[in-house]
Amino acid sequence: MSRSKIQNNIRRLRFDAGEMTQQELADKVEVSRQTIVAIEKGNYSPSLELAFRIARLFETTVEEVFEYG
Amino acid sequence: MTYQEKQNIVNMGSGILITLIYAMIIYNRHADGLFDLTQDYRSWGIAFLIFIGISIVARIIIQIIFHIFNAIATREEDVPKEDERDKLIKLKATRNSYYAFTGGFIISVIALALGMPVYGIFIVFVISGLLSEIVDNSSQIYYYRKGV
Repeated sequence: MSRSKIQNNIRRLRFDAGEMTQQELADKVEVSRQTIVAIEKGNYSPSLELAFRIARLFETTVEEVFEYG
Repeated sequence: MTYQEKQNIVNMGSGILITLIYAMIIYNRHADGLFDLTQDYRSWGIAFLIFIGISIVARIIIQIIFHIFNAIATREEDVPKEDERDKLIKLKATRNSYYAFTGGFIISVIALALGMPVYGIFIVFVISGLLSEIVDNSSQIYYYRKGV
């Protein structure tokens, strides 16, 4: 499976948000920890809804969390 | 290994085991002359219906045993909730399993056209049913590991 062209800054945003763990983020956006791991690795592109939930949690925009290209 | 990967391995193993054991039982009954699978198509219908019932009950029991053993081994009693990635993986795996079963159906129709006896279709159905399940579970394992 080829990696997605969508990159993300979730790891950095988690670090900036008081070293939030993957499990804490997963619980807050209501997905499994494995899904957060897959998104961070670029193995899964989340739905628009989940992308917005993650962005809102970090009080930023979707473009700040995800980059295309 | 994640819960879903372990569950798929258990599903695949139990599917193969249940089908092989039941096929052996039916074949032995046929060999003993209790019914003739080459002529009596009603027997095939009954055998399939009983198989569906046995398969469902056996799988439920195997799943319960799996949950108990998994909870003891990992000390995690809760079953992970299904999220959007799980649903997408299941959808893609189901699509792959339909391809496998459709392939089996087409092969059986071609074989019938080439003169294979009618009971051969039922055998191909059983094999393609088992193959489609293997494709379903192995696809899920693949997508969980490599990404979707």
